[in-house]
Amino acid sequence: MRAAAAARPITLGPSIGRSTAVLGGGALLLVAVALVSVAVGTTGVGAADAGAIVLHRLLGIGSPTWPAASETIIWELRLPRVVGGMLVGAGLACAGTVFQALLRNPMADPYVIGTAAGASLGAVAALLVPGLLPIVGVGWLGLGVVQVFAFVGGVVAVTVVFAVARGQGGTPVVTLLLAGYAISSLLSAGVALLMFVSGDRLAAVVMWLLGSLGGASWPRLAFAAPLIVGSFVLILLRWRRLNALLLGEEQAGHLGVDVEREKRILTGLAALATSAGVAISGTIGFVGLVVPHLLRFAFGPDHRLLLPASMVYGAALLVLADLGARVAGGIPVGIVTALLGAPFFLWLLRRSLGPRLAP
Amino acid sequence: MGTPRRTPTLARVTLLLIAVLVSACTASSTPSSPSQSSATGSVTLTDDAGREVTLAGPAQRIVSLAPSNTEIVCALDACDRLVGVTDFDNFPTEVVDLPKVVVQTQVDLERLVAAEPDLVLAAGNELTPSSVIERIEDLGVPVLVLYPESLDEVYTDIELVGDAIDRRAEANELVDGLRVRVAAVEDAVAGVSAPLTLYEVFHAEGTTYTAGEGSFLASLLALAGAEPVTGDAEGVMGAEELAAADPELILLGTASYDSALADPAAALDAVRARPGWGELTAVRDGNVVPYLADIVTTRPGPRIVDGLEALARAIHPDRFD
Repeated sequence: MRAAAAARPITLGPSIGRSTAVLGGGALLLVAVALVSVAVGTTGVGAADAGAIVLHRLLGIGSPTWPAASETIIWELRLPRVVGGMLVGAGLACAGTVFQALLRNPMADPYVIGTAAGASLGAVAALLVPGLLPIVGVGWLGLGVVQVFAFVGGVVAVTVVFAVARGQGGTPVVTLLLAGYAISSLLSAGVALLMFVSGDRLAAVVMWLLGSLGGASWPRLAFAAPLIVGSFVLILLRWRRLNALLLGEEQAGHLGVDVEREKRILTGLAALATSAGVAISGTIGFVGLVVPHLLRFAFGPDHRLLLPASMVYGAALLVLADLGARVAGGIPVGIVTALLGAPFFLWLLRRSLGPRLAP
Repeated sequence: MGTPRRTPTLARVTLLLIAVLVSACTASSTPSSPSQSSATGSVTLTDDAGREVTLAGPAQRIVSLAPSNTEIVCALDACDRLVGVTDFDNFPTEVVDLPKVVVQTQVDLERLVAAEPDLVLAAGNELTPSSVIERIEDLGVPVLVLYPESLDEVYTDIELVGDAIDRRAEANELVDGLRVRVAAVEDAVAGVSAPLTLYEVFHAEGTTYTAGEGSFLASLLALAGAEPVTGDAEGVMGAEELAAADPELILLGTASYDSALADPAAALDAVRARPGWGELTAVRDGNVVPYLADIVTTRPGPRIVDGLEALARAIHPDRFD
């Protein structure tokens, strides 16, 4: 950490005007992307009908002049998908921001300490173990067994990683990363083994692992939304402590932060948001890694701005990527995020000297 | 399942795997016994997943989520009632231009809803994911799951679709015709010595996928006068197991999709170059047959009997002069 950086008063964030511009711009972008996404699909239900249907269902304005199928397409298919994209994108970007700060590692993403591998193993087991399939659809809070297992798998994996990495003097970041890597490898081997014996269910497994918002429905969203939004609010309330942690654990301790406690709480919250998102959509890569970096490039590292910005821009990015995925013939959105995100990120990387993590 | 069209590798491999393993599973097929309600015209059917499905009346707008389902509907002379099919559908030719509601094995729910079907014919055993089936039902469209694992179950499914679209008489007629043709094949190969036969559905990196133990394809091979090399229930065989099984005849179903294997001499050279294959009896004796009828042999619709006939001809050409 450079002395000059440490000397900079970290509670003094970006000006109100700048924050308003960043977040307002993001919100406008999100609204625009969402409107286009609801109006565009693989069938010819267009903007006029889409707008009328949404207004009709939300506010009771107007009377149906459209075919019943159009209403189903907009209200039961496109809209949940757009809202699901917002939730998952926001959750992943926010969790990525937290993990990058907490672990002080630019390669950290929401999946780094086991959520993705745990959720994948849970979901794949639910897809493949025959005894579980019959209860799919019976539902638990309106969810299928696959979603429940994915969520539980993600949370359990992080808990195990944390328990393994925890020593007498706390939980060193390096140990946490290594334990996460090892547990992820172990769980991934389990996923690979199940895939090998999956027989004709392999297609279903591959689709889940590639990540898709095609399964987003109102009941699934009703489960994930409170977890993601709730986690976000609690994370946002800790922005000062995240800023302090960027300076290093010792410095953060000197600033009065209970480092070990914050690590536990923030990891738990970020893992909750990630697992809830993964339960909706499968493992969508890249959003949680790239969005925080992009925003740091653009707006600096202050979490008071970075956290809400990551929510808004992460949501917009994933909704946009999903629009592309749908229009391109239903390819899994995880492919689109990596295909478009990686070159853009590389271009940004070349333009600057490297990702800025600390102030 | 399968098509000569180029598809991305992942989807292609997945589909090939599905093709191999389609028949290896355990979903039970229940004979349909429709209960008609004369008051409302509604009909209640039991599908291959054991689900009871009630239709308000004979289906007029049908979406098919599997090529075999499409072929059943068309064989009952109801092609004109189809309003949506998959991008793998290629038979009969009039379905090629229908709206595609399954793209790259993924159901596009938006297009499905836009087609305004009153009946969806899904594929069983997760070929149509159960989550998608639930979703379609939640959207208010009845779904019949078809998953035949034997010739008898193909007949049952034809009758089931016949009941669903009020074409039961045509279904009975079609099934009777198929039974006659199957009996003719059985007659033709009666009393032959059955060669130990490997049917190659897919091959990669030393692993061969063939007709699994107890699978539909294995039963067709047996009917066609062969003793199938099966491997496990999934039909997966390593090079060592294959050497131990030592087939006398190899049918390359893969030749249906790989033009490099379509020529018999080239195919023989290609398989001889695989590790361990040069020592197989079938390869030493030159009994390696590029089998070009894989699509009808692995697609469980009415043309499955075409597949059976093609198998019998490939295995016992002398019986079909």
